[in-house]
Amino acid sequence: MGQFPQLIQEDLDHLNLVMDELLNKSEANIALLVEKAGYLIHQCGSQESIDTTTFATLGSNAYNAVQFMAQLVNENNFTSMYQQGEHFSTLMVNVDENSLLVVVFPTHLTVGSMKYYASPAARSIAQRIEVASQRSPDTRLDLSDLDPKDVQALFRKKN
Amino acid sequence: MAIINQATKELQVKIVYYGPAKSGKTTNLEQVHANVQVPESTVKGKMTSLATSSDRTLFFDFFPLETVAIKGFKTKFALFTVPGQVIYNATRQIVLRGVDGIVFVADSQYDKMEENVETFKHLEENLKSLNLNLDDIPYVMQYNKRDIPDVAPVEYMDFVLNNREVQVPTFEASASNSEGVFETLNMITRLLLHKFLSDGVRK
Repeated sequence: MGQFPQLIQEDLDHLNLVMDELLNKSEANIALLVEKAGYLIHQCGSQESIDTTTFATLGSNAYNAVQFMAQLVNENNFTSMYQQGEHFSTLMVNVDENSLLVVVFPTHLTVGSMKYYASPAARSIAQRIEVASQRSPDTRLDLSDLDPKDVQALFRKKN
Repeated sequence: MAIINQATKELQVKIVYYGPAKSGKTTNLEQVHANVQVPESTVKGKMTSLATSSDRTLFFDFFPLETVAIKGFKTKFALFTVPGQVIYNATRQIVLRGVDGIVFVADSQYDKMEENVETFKHLEENLKSLNLNLDDIPYVMQYNKRDIPDVAPVEYMDFVLNNREVQVPTFEASASNSEGVFETLNMITRLLLHKFLSDGVRK
């Protein structure tokens, strides 16, 4: 299992382009790029009413659970997962080994059309992640100012 | 493994509370959620629990905690618990995916010692199934329920659970009273950040 690469602004610009295009063409509300450990990597669309961090975590774990189900029926994997709601539905599409694309869309749109638009978007995102994986970013995480003593009590209890 | 986003200056880290059934994993998270000081630089998310009707963890509990632990980088700690019941072992594996740090919450009662040991073995096996090795992952031990009379002495628990080549930090706790909860959390975050320091975050 490889590691999700570090992203730089150029990557985010590409993600914005692809995910905005997906939303425009499909008329979906929200697109989230989620790492399968539960991390929200990037989001596009109107997400005022949704806690996208929690949504991403729940989505990735549900998706991982379905992959376990796939193994039990001797499938390599299920490449997508669809949930239909009364007002909104969700589609999760595999991007690569480490990430997936989650799309939230109004129920009047069909899952078929959503897959039609989401699949090429997922492929384009996967290609970009591959580019990021091959890159060795010059900018490293600067830990020089971190004093381990400061970390001793990062979180404090209310009095 | 931790996610670094250079563009948005974010570091995301996953900590999993692991342990036998009813050892107090969910209680730890509830206490942190209820009692953590939230200064301006810290953002506390909502706690999400996927539990059965009898309030046992079915899938996981989760809550995100955000602070600036490293200069210029927003650090998001994702705190998870796993279900304690053995029948949900597959679920535990799913939750362990991408784990950066582990808090093993042990029940200090004598009659729970076998379960503690068995659950610890499951932890190692589950990590192996994800191609991870416990020796490579920062973890701490919490000996919970110290408020109950006639619990096993710490030395005994150390002998049973913390008797590996490298001993890890241990904490006595009474999570329901919030005792030892923050000490445990702060130690695992400290170990994690030390590991990032020594690794330069990415190998």
